[in-house]
Parts: sequence; C-alpha cells; structure tokens
Amino acid sequence: MRLEAKAPATLGAVVEAVTRLSTYSEAEILDSVSAGKMKDLFPFKTARRRQMPADTVAEEDLIEASASPLNREQHSALIESSMPRSTRAAKRLRADRK
Amino acid sequence: MKSTHEPRGFVRFAPSKSDKSRRVDIRVTDMNANDALWWDTRLGPKHARMAARADRFWSWSTLLPMCHLVQLAKRRRCRPLVIWARADNSRFLRTGMSILIENYPYLDVRRPDLSYFVWFISSADSGVLQSDFGMSHPPALVRILLDDAIVLSQNTGLDGRIGLHAAAAGGKTLLKVYERCGLASLSPDAALPAYVRRKNDGRFFYADERRAETLAGALDPSR
Repeated sequence: MRLEAKAPATLGAVVEAVTRLSTYSEAEILDSVSAGKMKDLFPFKTARRRQMPADTVAEEDLIEASASPLNREQHSALIESSMPRSTRAAKRLRADRK
Repeated sequence: MKSTHEPRGFVRFAPSKSDKSRRVDIRVTDMNANDALWWDTRLGPKHARMAARADRFWSWSTLLPMCHLVQLAKRRRCRPLVIWARADNSRFLRTGMSILIENYPYLDVRRPDLSYFVWFISSADSGVLQSDFGMSHPPALVRILLDDAIVLSQNTGLDGRIGLHAAAAGGKTLLKVYERCGLASLSPDAALPAYVRRKNDGRFFYADERRAETLAGALDPSR
C-alpha cells in the first residue's frame, strides 16, 4: 500500500495508518523510524513533481517562529503547510490567485 | 499552573562547532513541507551514509505530516521547527530540525503533570555544511534544539518541563550527548507515565522546572 498525498481515494488508508500508529508510544515510533521501518509504519508517498526550495534565504525573507504556543487557526495553517503540494498544483493555485 | 516567567524568545546566536569563541547567527521558523523536502533532498542522502547517525533513515517529508496526524488523533499538537544559520554568503541555511509535542505527560511520575516532549531532533552534519554549503562555522545545535522546547514549555505555562527518549539507534553516544547537555536521566527502574505504554529502557531524559530554568538562563545572553 502506498499513500498518495492529497489523493482522496486513499483517505481511508491514511486514517487506517494513523489509527494504527496512534496505538504506539512516541518512543516506539521514534525507534521504528530510526531503524528504517518508516515505510512500514506510514507508507506515505509525497507528490512527485515538486519545486526544490533554494538552499539559502535572505534574513528578511525568513518568518521567525513565535516562541509562544500557536492559536487554533495558526496551528491549522501549520498542519496545512506540512502537506506537500505538487509543482503543477502550486502553479494552478498561483494562476487562480491572479 | 501559570508560569512565573516573562516570555523568553528563542536563541538567536549559537557557538560555532569549530571555534567556541565565535558566535553564529541563527533563526527559528515553523517547519513546512518545503523545509522537509529540502532537508530530505539536500542533506538526507549524505546523512544516510553516516552509520553513527540515529537519524540516517528519517524522512522529514513523511515524518512531518505523520507526526501532526498521529498527535491530532491523540488530541495533542505538534510544533515542528527549523533552525537556520548564517552561511558565509550572509544568507541563511537550514541546519536543524525538530518536532515537539505539546502537553505530553511529564516523565517523572512522582509529579503528575504535563511537559513538552522532544520527539525528533536533528542537526545537519557540520562537515557537509562546510564542504557543500559554504558554511565555515556550522553552529553547535543540540543545546539550542533542547532550549527551543524549554522556552515553549515555559511560555505555555508548563514551567520549562521537557522529556525525551534517546533513539536506540543512537547508542551510548547519544546518551552522553544528552547528559552533556544537562538533562537528567530517568532512572532505568523508574516507572513511566501510564500513557507512555512502554518499558523503561533507560534512555529517557527530562528536565524539571529548576533544571530547565538553569539551562535556559545560561543561554539568555544569546536571545
């Protein structure tokens, strides 16, 4: 089983993997991942066509993190930003915004 | 419990690994999918060849969404962060990654309370930063990665309490790293919080309020 990011058809598989993982302790997950078993735990495949970010960034372009806890909206945005977006989807999004 | 501390910021300077008298500019950002992609692509293959690294098989592009989703299922939140450091060209480069968990059971069961849990932390190999990325003075980051968790814990009202499990793949070397950083080792015969659902393998570390304040205070001139 391979999970495709943002593919609704595999939503059930994502839920299944997360449900199974949530029965493990964090230390167990850490040790399994470190032993190279990540694909067995969470067979997630990121989008193939993604634009590689630049190696370096100017200081003024960095958005520094708050050292305080995030509110619900900020946290939701953080989770959304953790999901990879394919280059094609990113271009489409940019075009839609014009 | 309400924190008595004024909010602390994250550290903005770290000692150079090669010259402790030199300070390196660092900045902390929230981690997104691009950060994970960059790390996996540019550093991952090089780290994978270093057998001593506990993180040699970690794929941050998978870890990042997985950790968010697993903790959401457990009604907890993750806070993934990136530490950037100034390279020789004056621009900033990703040099450290971490995934922290908020409101995790405090590991010392004599004090039923909550803490921050340091789930995954990684710093880029300094040799690779020097040879491939034009960074003559890579920062020493382990203390800083732990400090980020302490600061968030203090600012969340958890009084700086943190805990972590040293990955078994890191062997004894990793235990010594955390000892050198000033964390307390949880006695191998100590009970763990019921939530942890795991046998104590002697690889758990923690900081109580006092220890956390001492560690954070020592870095205040660098904030």
